[in-house]
Amino acid sequence: MLKYLIKRVLWMIPMLIGISLISFSIMHLAPGDITNNESAFNPKASEESRQKLREMYNLDKPVIVQYGLWLKRMATLDFGKSFASHQKPVFWQTTDKDGNVTKGMIQQALPITLMINLLGLSITLLLAIPLGIIAARKYQAWQDRSITLFNFIGFSIPGFWLSLLLMYWLGVVNNWFPISGLHSLNYDTMDTWDKIKDSFSHLFLPVVIPSITGLAGITLFVKNGMLEVLQQDYITTARAKGLNEGKVVYRHALRNALLPLITIIGLSIPGLIGGSVIAETIFAIPGMGKLFYDAVLMRDFPVVMGILTIGSALTLIGNLLADVAYAWADPRVRRGVAR
Amino acid sequence: MFLLFLTGCNAPSKPASEVNYDLNAPPTSGGTMINAMTGEPSGLISMIAGESASSAISSNIFNHLLKYDKNLELEGDLAESWQISADQKTIRFKLKPNLKWADNHPLTSADVLFTWQAVIDEKTASPYASDFQLVKKAETPDALSFVVTYDQAYAPALDSWAGLQILPKHLLEGQDLHTSAFAQKPIGSNFYQLDKWTHGEHLKLSRNPNSALGQAKIDYLITRIIPDNSAQFLELMADNIDLMGLDPIKFSRIIPARPELQKKLALYKELGNSYTYMGFNLKHKPFDDVRVRHAINYAIDKQEIIDGVYLGLGINIASPYKPGTRWSNPDLVPYPYDPDKARALLKEAGFTDSNGDGILERDGKTFSFEIITNQNKEREKSAVLIQRRLKEVGIDVRIRAIEWASFISRFIKTGDFDVVILGWGLGLDPDQYNIWHSSQQAPGQFNFIGYNNSTVDQLLEQGRLELDANKRQRIYHTFARILLEDSPIIYLSAGYGLTAIHKRVKGIDNPAPPAGIGHNSEEWYIPQSLRRNEITNH
Repeated sequence: MLKYLIKRVLWMIPMLIGISLISFSIMHLAPGDITNNESAFNPKASEESRQKLREMYNLDKPVIVQYGLWLKRMATLDFGKSFASHQKPVFWQTTDKDGNVTKGMIQQALPITLMINLLGLSITLLLAIPLGIIAARKYQAWQDRSITLFNFIGFSIPGFWLSLLLMYWLGVVNNWFPISGLHSLNYDTMDTWDKIKDSFSHLFLPVVIPSITGLAGITLFVKNGMLEVLQQDYITTARAKGLNEGKVVYRHALRNALLPLITIIGLSIPGLIGGSVIAETIFAIPGMGKLFYDAVLMRDFPVVMGILTIGSALTLIGNLLADVAYAWADPRVRRGVAR
Repeated sequence: MFLLFLTGCNAPSKPASEVNYDLNAPPTSGGTMINAMTGEPSGLISMIAGESASSAISSNIFNHLLKYDKNLELEGDLAESWQISADQKTIRFKLKPNLKWADNHPLTSADVLFTWQAVIDEKTASPYASDFQLVKKAETPDALSFVVTYDQAYAPALDSWAGLQILPKHLLEGQDLHTSAFAQKPIGSNFYQLDKWTHGEHLKLSRNPNSALGQAKIDYLITRIIPDNSAQFLELMADNIDLMGLDPIKFSRIIPARPELQKKLALYKELGNSYTYMGFNLKHKPFDDVRVRHAINYAIDKQEIIDGVYLGLGINIASPYKPGTRWSNPDLVPYPYDPDKARALLKEAGFTDSNGDGILERDGKTFSFEIITNQNKEREKSAVLIQRRLKEVGIDVRIRAIEWASFISRFIKTGDFDVVILGWGLGLDPDQYNIWHSSQQAPGQFNFIGYNNSTVDQLLEQGRLELDANKRQRIYHTFARILLEDSPIIYLSAGYGLTAIHKRVKGIDNPAPPAGIGHNSEEWYIPQSLRRNEITNH
């Protein structure tokens, strides 16, 4: 098992280098660079100043040289500095000689996105598992059909549209929830309890809307897993030996039905750090999705590469964790790995 | 579960509908004004940041030597007076006495000199350096005098000094402006200073007690970062922000249709210093033929674009200057919509529909081209209207909207386009050498349509050397006339800037003077009884 783990971890290094090379090339295939931003079309802005910027950021060098420079920096885990945002550090904070701390861009955006997505995923799971179980147990009865209907309505409604409607209804017509942003303007002067309430009410819509629209997939997974398991011989055996239905479903069936969920959760780990551009834009949340999108539009290469690298590393780790968790949960897989 | 959340929040103490925001009250100090921006500034040293979000905030914090008054004439900002030498090569600025930075440090000519040195420094990649590189010599004979000498008279010089924000030497000396933490916590001299910057959420400015030019009325200016326009508008409707820029639909349809919004919002429109145009690649056939350009100009109904795309909130122009200013030539009239004349001109240029398919041909080639534009809804819609009108005179047009960075580097820079729809946002100085002079055609320069007219070249050169406003005016009036006759671009419209401001903010000029409503924002005030009570000033 340990040998297997070490092998898997070591394999990640060439994989990461390959991924970064491909991302780097694709990014540079897109026409334009940081000097093509807004001020590029101000007649007062001269081409010489843009050339100066290009030299400052080594953008005048061949792509492969730029990749080499990037790789060299990455070898020391230095993610570099943003082109577009006053050379802020991409990943983690730096302190200059006067003691001024400049926070890293990912450092600021990641906790926000992570929190929203973790909350969203928890709500989705909390709702999807019971719904899936009910739908499987009452298969093709009205409960199943109404759950399916509800899920597909949620799945089909465009998130941004639902968001805007709810923002209007809950924020404008009835002054129940804040419309956008993460904190109230007077957040700093609140006491702890009010701060919690404030954060909670700001997070409500951005968390709940994606959980509802994301419910369909996981509910179906649970339902199908459950249906399959309930037809297995050992369930018939359990019922035959006179166990009550609750024990059959929750003790014997549920555990096995939830196995595929491990894979899904593993696969959703990279998704947890990549926020949704649309949701973050509508709700004015300074998260990872907006950061990445803006960086792509601005051709802010260090930020794009920083997010892609962290994202791909987390994807690989997520896959590994899912496999390990699977092995832990399922003895058949475990024996296969150990061999 | 839903109800459980709802009970946790309390309703506002007094329904907003009961307050009469139209009341008149004398100017008082205090209060908070909240506005919203779609993008966050990268930093507040605007000569480095270069984007409009940055200068929108930093212009509240820093001063220039000169500024424009409400009628767009230059007046002193930090400078008390300025003199131009007889040979027009030297400008002598005299600063106002007893100026101070917000941290109480005296502001002197040394700071101005430092700022000039910083902007032209080899290590500084400021997009706006070129005006200041023309200064041959800058001196500070005493603490209040700043003297610049140019190699030859340079008429846009005064305008350039009205655009350079003066930075404090004592805080920035020896620092790299590109990385300095000063950009995140600046110290300036203008009406406001930065109180708090919550990244990605809002910037809060507070009144600067040491302000160089007296005290502003409103205590706090808060700018919230809300990237989505619809969300901004919801915040405006819910009374959480006081000010936002509008699009024509919100301005002329949504707000007038809702009495509850009309009760609390005042609408302002002001002509911006920008216009939208359709430009020809003059190096490509058949756009090198002036008859073809005229024909297309006659074939396009500009009023239709203004009415359809901008809901009437724009005007038809005939020169590349803001209408109503001295640089705009009042004798020029736009090309009228005249499809018959267009057909006649095309025929004269040798285009006929020989195969009867409705599309013209010349020398066996059909008259067909592609309009490219960036992803801008208004420009895309204009292109569609143009496509239809040109089809009526027998020209086949395709439309392509391209993401900005690709648009610039793949098409504009390489000159790989037939026709573009774009806009120019201009400064207040009439000099447009960079856009129209034939020497400005290299990749990355702004005469990308390849305009080449020796008379215009001469006029543009003369205009740069002439500091006398009346003589300069004649030069640019002639320039605009030739430009209209040559028709290298077709002026589509100059749109109005549209703003909604909550009626609690008083003291705003309406209708807007030539300089726009923002020219006296330090005199805006919010009467005590109309202030938001939920926001505690601390």
